[in-house]
Amino acid sequence: MNIAVLIKQVPVSNDVSVDPETHALVRASSEGMVNPADLNAIEEAMLLKEQTGGKVVVFTMGPPDAEKALRDAMALGCDESCLVTDRAVAGGDTVATAKVLAAAIRKYGQFDLILGGALSADGATGQVGAMVAECLDIPHVVEAQGIKYDTDKADRIVAVKKFHDKKLSIRCALPAMISFNFGCNEPRLATLRTKRAAKSKPLVTYTNADLGLPLDEVGIAGSPTAVVDSFSPKAGRKAAMLEGTAAELAKKLYDLIEEEKGK
Amino acid sequence: MAKKKIGIIGGGISGAALAYHLSLYDGEAEVVVFEKDTIGGASTAKSAGTVCLFDDSLKNRYWDVRLYGFESYLKMEAEEKGSAGFDKTGTLVVATNEEVEKVIKTGIALAKAAGYTGEYITDKDRIKEILPDISTDNILGAGYTADDGYFDGTMISNTYAKKAQKNGVVVKTGVKVSEVVVEDKKIKGLKTDDGQDYEFDVVVDCTGPWSKFTGEMVGLDVPIWHTKAEAFFLCPPGKKLDYTFPVLKYPEFYGLRAGDNIFICKSHLSMDLSNPMHAGQWDPDKLPATGGTDDYFIDFLLDQLEAKVPGIVDSGLVSSWLSYRAEPKDFWPILGETPVEGYMLSTGYGGNGVIEAPAATRDLAKLIMRGESTPLLENWAFKRLL
Repeated sequence: MNIAVLIKQVPVSNDVSVDPETHALVRASSEGMVNPADLNAIEEAMLLKEQTGGKVVVFTMGPPDAEKALRDAMALGCDESCLVTDRAVAGGDTVATAKVLAAAIRKYGQFDLILGGALSADGATGQVGAMVAECLDIPHVVEAQGIKYDTDKADRIVAVKKFHDKKLSIRCALPAMISFNFGCNEPRLATLRTKRAAKSKPLVTYTNADLGLPLDEVGIAGSPTAVVDSFSPKAGRKAAMLEGTAAELAKKLYDLIEEEKGK
Repeated sequence: MAKKKIGIIGGGISGAALAYHLSLYDGEAEVVVFEKDTIGGASTAKSAGTVCLFDDSLKNRYWDVRLYGFESYLKMEAEEKGSAGFDKTGTLVVATNEEVEKVIKTGIALAKAAGYTGEYITDKDRIKEILPDISTDNILGAGYTADDGYFDGTMISNTYAKKAQKNGVVVKTGVKVSEVVVEDKKIKGLKTDDGQDYEFDVVVDCTGPWSKFTGEMVGLDVPIWHTKAEAFFLCPPGKKLDYTFPVLKYPEFYGLRAGDNIFICKSHLSMDLSNPMHAGQWDPDKLPATGGTDDYFIDFLLDQLEAKVPGIVDSGLVSSWLSYRAEPKDFWPILGETPVEGYMLSTGYGGNGVIEAPAATRDLAKLIMRGESTPLLENWAFKRLL
């Protein structure tokens, strides 16, 4: 089974503020990492690859330094990667981004399954995965907790979702797109050896010219979304420094917890 | 008698320890510590804190410095458990050649003279009992003591700051020094970014990797280079070690346990100041809290662990970080007076800040309060670098 995994490079720092003029997110640090829920998607892809063979290709759209996130994904076992990087596609909303990613997947090759994280840690719209599926005209299941694949029924997959205290199993024809909730599995860790190996794994770079998308369908020009307002939430909590011996501190903490419970 | 007014810039281990030692002069000093972030954060928080009785990081020539640091922290821990964050794992120092072997044997003799245990082991089975994941190929032996281990630089800094505050020191956190006021090459005071002015007789730069920039405020070129302290936290295969991972010292790197993980860092003495991959002058404000390690470090560490501790080479990489060590060209700290009267340095500790801070700041406090120098201050004086 050939699997595409969509990932996003998100800022390491949670220190994000909102530009009052543009309503854009302003990040304190430029250091990026793979979006946490995407690591869960990679883990599902790796488990499926171990079961069925085939290859896992990881895709992202972003600036050239998003290569780091792709190398990190390949250090987790992904075989190949594809970076779409072009000023023309920068600043796109979820629709424009989905069109670009769908075009990149189509150009790269045939895939049986497309996986991704359900939400990104920064934007958290949860839209791109489903939109990519729509662009590719394939079925999709969002916010899955896991998947089951039976090699005797190779034309389908079962996605498992949480529904209150029940599990919902959704059978889906392949190819399909499935997005996974953060924390649905325990992602494997890279090792020094896999990190080194990832440095020489294939990484293909596409520009918008390679994808052949009209300029008015990508980037800011191709984004129908207008952000009319965004704001930092008001901090509703205050920190207090507790002092005393270990026993006194334990008592104070206990009392505070009890007090909070009573609210 | 008028109190001596002293401003300390930087609340890492050096600044906090200096504040404490100054506060012991029984009300003679009026001390304010200015820390732009939190006490014991930044490079102190990223310190490995391996205050071992013998290893390669601080030459045996400075044994007393090491011992004073070690015993200061033991006393701190005895006064209040956890206040120095002591994890008594013992230390295994591996001899890969005869020169290192000699250094280790000297360290063991010194440790024993001070009443601690220490043994030089050549029985390779015994070495593997202490550290089952080690390769004993190509080693001559190893020094071992069960008496030492890891101390937490952040906990220690906060304990020193707390003790200093009890003795009247004012600690200001979240306050950045914006200007150091100098008139006729003499310190007058400083200004902070919250608009406050302070008058001081002495200002001490304890800013470590920031010293280059702090010195510029008084027109001083502090000869500090940054070397990279790149560290990984490894999750061992099988996830939980069934033995106590000791502080492990090789000339090239060191490791220690951090909960169920293993912390591995490149040793500062393996750095080459002329190699731009190892050393340079960078902006520590731009360091990310985690990540930032270079690819070369992965290659370096993989080769090292494969050859030396193969049992942990396939550990999972839990997280990593990069910090900058402040290193003068001879790798010794810069301590004491500068050409600007009243402006003093307590910086350049490189990878040894946690070990050296107690003795260095004890002596510096004596110089500030009594004008008396010590052999340590003479050896680590700024003038040696001019």
